[in-house]
Amino acid sequence: MEYILKNGIVYDPTNKVNGDKKDVMIKDGKIVDEVSSDAKVIDVTDKLVMAAGVDVHSHIAGPKLCVGRLYRPEDERRGVKPKTATTRAETGFSIPSCPTTGYRYSRMGYGTVTEAAVPPLEAKHTHEEIMAIPNIDISPLTLFGNNWFVLQYVKEGNLDDLAAFVSSWLKITKGYGIKCVNPCGSEAWGWGMNVHGIDDPAPYWDVTGRQVMRALVQVNEMLGLPHSMHVHTNDLGHPGNYETTLKTMDCVKDIKKNPSVSRDQIMHCTHLQFHAYGGTSWRDANSGAEPIADYINKHDHITCDVGQVTLDETTTMTADAPMEYDLYKLSGLKWANKDIELETASGLIPCIYSGKAPVSTLQWAIGLELFLLIKDPWKVVLTTDSPNAGPFLRYPRIISWLMSSDRRTEMMENKEVHKWATKRTSLGTLDRVYDWNDIATVTRSAPAKILGFKERGHLGVGANADVAVYDLEPEKFDPTKAANAPVVEDVLSRALYTIKDGQIVVKDGKIAKVVPSRHLWSNVQGFEKQEKKVLNDIMPMFNKYYTIKFENYKVHDHYIEPSIEYKVNASK
Amino acid sequence: MKTITLTPKKFSSIALEFDELIPDKVYDWNKEDFEKYEVPIGNSRFPLTDYFDIEIEGSAEGPEEVKMILDGDMGRVKYIGCKMSAGDILVNGDADLQVGAEMTGGSIKVNGNAESYAGREMKGGSLEIMGNVREYCGTSYIGEWRGMSDGIIKVHGNAGKQLADCMSGGEIYVDGGCDILAGIHMTKGYIEIGGDVTRWPAGQMKNGTVVIKGKLGRLLEGFEVEGIYKNPEIHGKQLTGKYIKYKGDIGVNGKGSLWLNAEKNRDLL
Ligand SMILES: [Zn+2]
Repeated sequence: MEYILKNGIVYDPTNKVNGDKKDVMIKDGKIVDEVSSDAKVIDVTDKLVMAAGVDVHSHIAGPKLCVGRLYRPEDERRGVKPKTATTRAETGFSIPSCPTTGYRYSRMGYGTVTEAAVPPLEAKHTHEEIMAIPNIDISPLTLFGNNWFVLQYVKEGNLDDLAAFVSSWLKITKGYGIKCVNPCGSEAWGWGMNVHGIDDPAPYWDVTGRQVMRALVQVNEMLGLPHSMHVHTNDLGHPGNYETTLKTMDCVKDIKKNPSVSRDQIMHCTHLQFHAYGGTSWRDANSGAEPIADYINKHDHITCDVGQVTLDETTTMTADAPMEYDLYKLSGLKWANKDIELETASGLIPCIYSGKAPVSTLQWAIGLELFLLIKDPWKVVLTTDSPNAGPFLRYPRIISWLMSSDRRTEMMENKEVHKWATKRTSLGTLDRVYDWNDIATVTRSAPAKILGFKERGHLGVGANADVAVYDLEPEKFDPTKAANAPVVEDVLSRALYTIKDGQIVVKDGKIAKVVPSRHLWSNVQGFEKQEKKVLNDIMPMFNKYYTIKFENYKVHDHYIEPSIEYKVNASK
Repeated sequence: MKTITLTPKKFSSIALEFDELIPDKVYDWNKEDFEKYEVPIGNSRFPLTDYFDIEIEGSAEGPEEVKMILDGDMGRVKYIGCKMSAGDILVNGDADLQVGAEMTGGSIKVNGNAESYAGREMKGGSLEIMGNVREYCGTSYIGEWRGMSDGIIKVHGNAGKQLADCMSGGEIYVDGGCDILAGIHMTKGYIEIGGDVTRWPAGQMKNGTVVIKGKLGRLLEGFEVEGIYKNPEIHGKQLTGKYIKYKGDIGVNGKGSLWLNAEKNRDLL
């Protein structure tokens, strides 16, 4: 099938196309520069056209989601929609059902989403849920930061075996990259403890977060994985934690990037908003966004996503289990906890972010500060750490805040948010606004580059034909006006067209077609011998401590249909 | 004033759902509108007229001028009066699940028994049930920690398990007995039970008041005696006789009050 999207206003930062009136041509699921006369013409004259969105960090599939759905039926009833001829019934707000997740991303014009935390033991479950999510390709990141084998190799300083272990475990879990959550903290949680800062060792192992993060970044570069090490740093959610975050970013800066990769960074710091707090307690807490933005502005080895608070009632879920317990102690709402044997832990708790509350407002403002203070939009990605700071379906609302400083001022002036926004942060003094090019960067081009996708997040020849068209004429529309913020939100919530691999999956804001999502995974070549040795070495410990047999641990091929394998040639 | 009378003529073993047939939505419907209307049954919809004869008298400018008479057994009709804000509904028979759930105003009277979840998450208005109710009357939705916040529920018969879970306001009166865990998790509001109670009233209550006029089978450990009062005045009402007052649930630092009729509960004196 061939298509030609005619006369749209195209924003494609990767290819330096900035609002030009252009045709986008599609053939056999790819972007091309020529189509035959048989091509179907879709008239999108003057409409906003971008590559389909790419999400660098979201929680959409796996055991945490499942626990969330089970223990929050009251969330499931929010967002109920009956089935249609093409879609199944929709349920849920912060933890939608699997099909609903696919429909909602697809309607917003997204085509690729990263599932940010997969415990290897639960990888099968994650892939099963991915099979039930349609219309978006999904790159799962495998959790390594509190894994006993990893801690053992780090303790021994044995990076070669660690590299082989990671390479092997990405194959076993069918993971795309390395995720590290509160390194050593979630392991300490097994002892009812946490770690504080990057130099506080985990009990028994006597290994620190700094050591684990450095080792995983080094291994990531030894293997030459498409994405960098992806870290949720220590001390999430604690006032004063910005210092830990600065130390974290700085502790890897001397590590050399693998020359074969297309990304610039060696470490991606996720949901930075949760890690950018000043003060010593919630009484005197203030913003730590400035020093962090300043660090990122001056260094090129770090990228980040924001984890913007959306001021909603949502559900928090993370492998940072001790932090979830702290949250439970603060709010008293129902708490769920999970222990993942030798690998990690996790916790969940409902969370009500309210503009009336000082702390929620501070978090909201710090997120926006990061967006506005980090100068280069290629270094910062729009996320809500969905559903932790708010559900992903609020992305269009966040975009409306980024595009209009008048709207932000209005929110601060008419008390939609607490006065801490102006008293404890610099948000009131920031009048920067994002234009459509910046928006396309932080939602498409930058995340694709950061994740190492060459074929996604842009509209150059050879790219996947993943395209979003919105019912808005950027040349006639002023997104900086506060009164236009609801229009931005509405229009970006329901794409005129979402095209996935050359197929129209959304038309006029409605799901037109349901296609299976592909499982994106990294297959490292060249470490086979070491992988075999490492497996032999660890089998006694595996057999002794795991509750399941190794034969049942592995994600077999039929769990990842359909998939895209990213072959990585490790240059040792 | 508009009177809408629905008289059952055919029984469905799969429940009908009536949340679209509340005064707020039907006050300006004429006979043709009802005849056009298809009612949800299971995963499909069927003409309302297959199941009911419909009569309409008078007219209404708004829901407060509507009286709906469901003239017969509604034992397989769910969501009667769900989310209504005004008007009256009279059920001349039993009502199925969720009668009066999430109602914010108006009144519902059921001249029979009601199934579970009657008055769930009620925010206002009044719900009166002449017979018994089953489980979860006046509670929160499953999983939800914010329950009934206002309004009045009167049950003339008995109530089932977990009456008023997570109640945060309003009043519930049960003339008959009550099964386990009445007033569990309540934070505010008033519950008065005329008959006997099996076990564990007011578990994990943070605040609010539960009065039990009959015999209590078993009290939870988290309640401490505060005193014995003669003819106490509770919630603006003068009760007659001696009552034991407990504070609790201390397991959750609760400051709620549980009053037990002393005469009927001599074993606790
Ligand atoms: Zn996350």
